[in-house]
Amino acid sequence: MLGGEIMSEIVMQITELTKVFPLRDSKVGFKAVDSISIDLYKGEVLGVVGESGSGKSTLARCAFGITEPTSGGTIILGQSLVGKSRKATRELRAHLGFVFQDPAGSINPRMSVHAAIAEPLMLAGMDSDSIDKRVNFLMDRVGLATSQLSRKSHELSGGQCQRVAIARALATNPKIVLLDEPTSSLDLSVQAQILNLLEELRRDFDLTYFLISHNLDVVSHLSDRVAVMKDGVFVEVGSTRQVVDAPKHPFTRELIRVYSGAAREFDLDTWQDGPMNRWAFQNVSTFLPTRKIEASTKPLEFKALIDDTLDAITIDVADSTYTLPELLADVDTDAIVVVRKATLVYEKYFNDMTEDSVHLLQSVSKSILGALYAVMVERGVIDIDKPIAFYLPELVGSVYEDATIAQALDMTVAINFSEDYSDPQSEMARLDRAAGWRTNTTGQDLGLRSFLGTMTASGEHGKAYQYCSANTDVLAWLISEVTQTPYQELLTRYIWQPMGAHDDASIIVDSEGLSVGNGGISCTTRDLARFGLLIVNHGRANGEQVIPTAWIDATLAGASADVESADYLQALHPGGSYKNKWWITAGASREIFGVGIYGQYVWVDPTSETVIAKFSSLPIPVDGVHSRKHMALFKAICAH
Amino acid sequence: MSTVLKISELEVDFQINGVITNTPLRGINIEIKAGKTLGIVGETGCGKTLTATAIMGLLPSSAVQRGQIEFADHGVINKSEMAAIRGSEITMIFQNPQSAFNPIFTIGAQLTMVAQRRGISDIKAILVARLESVGLRDPRRVLESYPHELSGGMLQRAMIAMALLSTPTLLIADEPTTALDATIGDQVLTLIATLQKREGFAMLFISHDVTAVAKVSDEIAVIYAGRVVETGPAHDVMSSPQHPYTRGLLGAIPSAEKARGTLVTIPGNVPSVLTNIKGCAFAERCSARIDKCDQEPPIVEIGNRSVACWVVKS
Repeated sequence: MLGGEIMSEIVMQITELTKVFPLRDSKVGFKAVDSISIDLYKGEVLGVVGESGSGKSTLARCAFGITEPTSGGTIILGQSLVGKSRKATRELRAHLGFVFQDPAGSINPRMSVHAAIAEPLMLAGMDSDSIDKRVNFLMDRVGLATSQLSRKSHELSGGQCQRVAIARALATNPKIVLLDEPTSSLDLSVQAQILNLLEELRRDFDLTYFLISHNLDVVSHLSDRVAVMKDGVFVEVGSTRQVVDAPKHPFTRELIRVYSGAAREFDLDTWQDGPMNRWAFQNVSTFLPTRKIEASTKPLEFKALIDDTLDAITIDVADSTYTLPELLADVDTDAIVVVRKATLVYEKYFNDMTEDSVHLLQSVSKSILGALYAVMVERGVIDIDKPIAFYLPELVGSVYEDATIAQALDMTVAINFSEDYSDPQSEMARLDRAAGWRTNTTGQDLGLRSFLGTMTASGEHGKAYQYCSANTDVLAWLISEVTQTPYQELLTRYIWQPMGAHDDASIIVDSEGLSVGNGGISCTTRDLARFGLLIVNHGRANGEQVIPTAWIDATLAGASADVESADYLQALHPGGSYKNKWWITAGASREIFGVGIYGQYVWVDPTSETVIAKFSSLPIPVDGVHSRKHMALFKAICAH
Repeated sequence: MSTVLKISELEVDFQINGVITNTPLRGINIEIKAGKTLGIVGETGCGKTLTATAIMGLLPSSAVQRGQIEFADHGVINKSEMAAIRGSEITMIFQNPQSAFNPIFTIGAQLTMVAQRRGISDIKAILVARLESVGLRDPRRVLESYPHELSGGMLQRAMIAMALLSTPTLLIADEPTTALDATIGDQVLTLIATLQKREGFAMLFISHDVTAVAKVSDEIAVIYAGRVVETGPAHDVMSSPQHPYTRGLLGAIPSAEKARGTLVTIPGNVPSVLTNIKGCAFAERCSARIDKCDQEPPIVEIGNRSVACWVVKS
């Protein structure tokens, strides 16, 4: 067979096979199979593995002439199925056998076992003596006693039914057999019997199998070659060993991991999830391209007066009582710095972090962009009430043609955008792929600019709050375009150095060098606290006005009550809102904060003049329980 | 560590007019520690789901139950005592989320009904927080959706949220990933494990999928024809199965590494529940069978393992 020996003859040739199902709301329709070409060699087992909806059954049905393909076709044993007479088609079909998933459903319940196996032989015109002989032979070969010939399908077990289905499929002595999920409805021990039987029959009768299954174990056990199918195309084809031992496509790798029962490993598709993020968030620049945001030559120094009594405070949240160290451990803290009235009162590092280590801010990066925009507006560089496309004409035709800068700052752009971090089809996942934060094998969204241009409007802007990360990326691009200055240099010049940053920070850039404004900044914990101090100190640092006081006051006042809020925001902060890339709590102490997925925070309490900078590596991106624990933690520290 | 659930000698008969028609559970002994997971693995008809049904006190009236169930600090509990804590201290998620939800009510309406029964105040906020905690990013949309508008993975997450509304002591998960694609099923397993670590509930995880059971369980119980044939720490059971049935089951898992046509097979089929079983139910399919196997097998302790077999040696 295969494996280095001379390739045997081709028995089935599938060429650019495409199947499109019409959809009522779409001119294009749904492309279930997208131009697949593959050859089947005599005696081999080709396994197609894929999940539900991947198109594997449609492919098989089209290839075997059960369903008419939209275009392309199959050559079976040198002959095309298309344009044949009924008789010629029937003769050609005698070379094909079919075994389906549900054996009880593919055998007529009113037929006896004998009749079920004999039917294709009768259609082929065999006389009854020869039929009986052939049926008995087949029964023996599939391991059934002839005493069961008079039974009907409901009197047989699942395994026995599938044996009958196999006998029927082999009745006319076919050359190629389609096995469509042949063992998926069977118990493990019965599945093993059927798999062994299929292999034995293949050897004895020189059969070629076209096997399709969702079960990678089954496919890799039985097949010489494996094709991995997803969204209508083969994402990977190779010898079974090649595919299993050295999978190339991320989907194949994910399948193999799931079936091996192994924990996820670190790669570009997993680095943000726990526990991989513990190392990854502190070392982003080692695996993603970054640009430097430079430190100040006159760093702002804190007076340090550590308040040990904070360790003794107790915090009641989620039906439990925690001490501060317990709660910090519970939320997978990497670092925490608390600054009160310009004095460092609490500082703890975990998981290899130190005061010199940087950590990814995720969406806290957005709040830094908000501050930069305050400076830019004050300098008269831009008018935030102008539509975004006024400054970025490339975006005419997208959602950003009408949406204003102010609406993007306040997250009130009505946009078709799902911020679902777990759904690989969501716009958020597309954004991650465009930014280079995930493997991108789609051939689309190559870079942030091309991705942002595809975003569309979902309604009227300015009416409702809708959190959307793309809005921040577009603003980072815009300000850099207007000023003709890279985003990281703007941050260095107008925020990082004036606020007195002690260390260099960095920002992730996409494949075209454009900064990922929505979440790409990494900095030290103390520098994040220095950034928070700007709010407490009315925008001043080292005796200079860094960001305008009026902007801070406007931000603290929160969004207009006319803007429709979101339930999850109201559940966490009744009366709260989102303004200028900050979250407004509407709490008694007028706290505001920046937050990033997996537990990144800068918390500012202007009343007690407290700033908390805190990094975590939580196992999952967002959830209400962790948010609540963080809120309780911050409020307890500020109230102490 | 305290025991959350202890089942001793659980047997279930089905009777018609006082006549026993069959005995699908013939001696279930299991124990689950606080915050830990016991995985029950077995093939069709072995009594996995029936065990869960008996624990929940949901057996039909034609069933007669013997043996005892002890739960947390309630001690031994009967069916009516179980009814009082069912849905609050013990909750359950099922194989097919599409059929577990009522198709004519929104997810929000169904979760609200459960929350009202649990006496939860501030329902909307709690539901939103709960849906977020199971990784549903847009809880408002989910609450307004009918079951058919959500994917299988999202529905299963919503069902997990429903089961955890009352912060149960024990969660029974009956084939929670079987109806899902492998990669989605894996996400759900990871979610359940994460939630368990955070919230500390104990879990009874039931599946025919040995790989899934091995992934989430601390202990594994292998059931065959209504009886536990082997229990022990998950890793030990998987790496050195003792009972001939467990060995056969693990040997039957296909893989690229095993040569084609050589999977270990267990001859015959799982006995029908109507079969009148004497002695070891596995004996007729067992290659290690000896004469004594027609008598009820003893429980043999091998290290931290219990095996019901005449042949294995301690």
